Amino acid sequence: MTRPQAPRELLPLTPPVFHILLALADEERHGYGIMQDVARQTGGALQLGPGTLYGCLKRMLAAGLVEESDERPDPALDDERRRYYRMTALGKRAVRAEAQRLTSAVMAAKTKLAGGII
Amino acid sequence: MTPQSEPQSGRLGGFCRLYSVLLYAYPRDFRLQYGAAMQQVFRDRCRDLARTASPMGNLRFAIHLTADWLATTVREQAAAFWSAGRKPVCRGFVTEWAVALGMYLFVTTTLVQAFVIPTGSMEGTLRVGDHMLVDRVTYAQPWPLGARLLPYREIARGDIVAFLYPEDIRRTYVKRVIGLPGDRIQMDNRQVIRNGHRLTEPYTQHIGAYPDPYRDNFPVAPEANTTPRGREMLEHHVLNGEVVVPPDMLFMLGDNRENSLDSRYWGFVPRSYVVGKPLFVYWSYDAPTNDLTEWTLGHVLDVAGHFFTKTRWERTFLVPRSQAAQEGGGS
Repeated sequence: MTRPQAPRELLPLTPPVFHILLALADEERHGYGIMQDVARQTGGALQLGPGTLYGCLKRMLAAGLVEESDERPDPALDDERRRYYRMTALGKRAVRAEAQRLTSAVMAAKTKLAGGII
Repeated sequence: MTPQSEPQSGRLGGFCRLYSVLLYAYPRDFRLQYGAAMQQVFRDRCRDLARTASPMGNLRFAIHLTADWLATTVREQAAAFWSAGRKPVCRGFVTEWAVALGMYLFVTTTLVQAFVIPTGSMEGTLRVGDHMLVDRVTYAQPWPLGARLLPYREIARGDIVAFLYPEDIRRTYVKRVIGLPGDRIQMDNRQVIRNGHRLTEPYTQHIGAYPDPYRDNFPVAPEANTTPRGREMLEHHVLNGEVVVPPDMLFMLGDNRENSLDSRYWGFVPRSYVVGKPLFVYWSYDAPTNDLTEWTLGHVLDVAGHFFTKTRWERTFLVPRSQAAQEGGGS
């Protein structure tokens, strides 16, 4: 529904969106898989609730950052069918741009704070 | 959803049903598209938690899930409202909020109730300014069908119970149950003797108050501080120097034994006046008794200005435990 935009317009990404994209960077995952991977990435600091997770996915689908893959069971959990999600090319560009933005923010913080404040 | 065949499917199924009801607070379109997937995620998470089986983890999950639900229902409803804004959506918006409001009213009127500890009579266990949630189900008078569905339990000695103050039922008090119907109670030098056994009560606090023959050696030496109900108890329910708890009544004492106005002074609490069981402290704020019983402008300003410094953060989510006293030998 939305035409592909420049990833720069989507920045800054909210932390849940950023970590969901990171979770989908290496492979496609279903909802609970995303939730577990986000918890792993952040050392348990960011636990997505079901409402947050699917609210974000809805908006990310509309923005074209992710797309739905097929529906299939996860043999590790049970034989129930789950909807899988994968990152689009736009999503990949957006998460790269966000990581770049965060890196320069961290660099700026380091130079400012190197002057003996911490 | 396909039915599950799981070993612990009983309780898990109950939680999943509860969650599927909570999903009705989301906009219809959102629920139809993602509701099933959200239930799957919820169940997966519950199963993982059941594997670790840590009570703190469960509590954290429950709080986190409630916060997630509250925040995202508001967000999705607002999104649905602004994106379409047309009549059919509007009607759905109203009905769904009516459901959410109905559930809120149901929970606050029958399941839990919030109240605050106004006095120091339970000091040592509960402090002035502890804001607590009371579970209204556990000690409710069971009705035939409910008895099978809900976790009812009879009141036991040593339980901490919230009840309506018999002399003024607009107030809610919290004290510990010392005597059940039929129990014989007396005190000897600040020690309770129940049915002839001296009690060792680890939860009590004895702050060196001046000696008081009535308070410390109840019920001998009647004194003037008793209310009409207290005098009625002393006149009709004392046998051989012991108070005998009548049917359907409870005898309550505060843990701060020397600084507590309790059944010694205002008599028994009828079983039907019991409100429930204090669950946990959700907010503990250091304020004087007067400010806690009524919200004044001064108190509002005080909270606004000192919320972070006067909140006793370490008491948040503190759970008061019922504790049985040890019965010593006869006396």
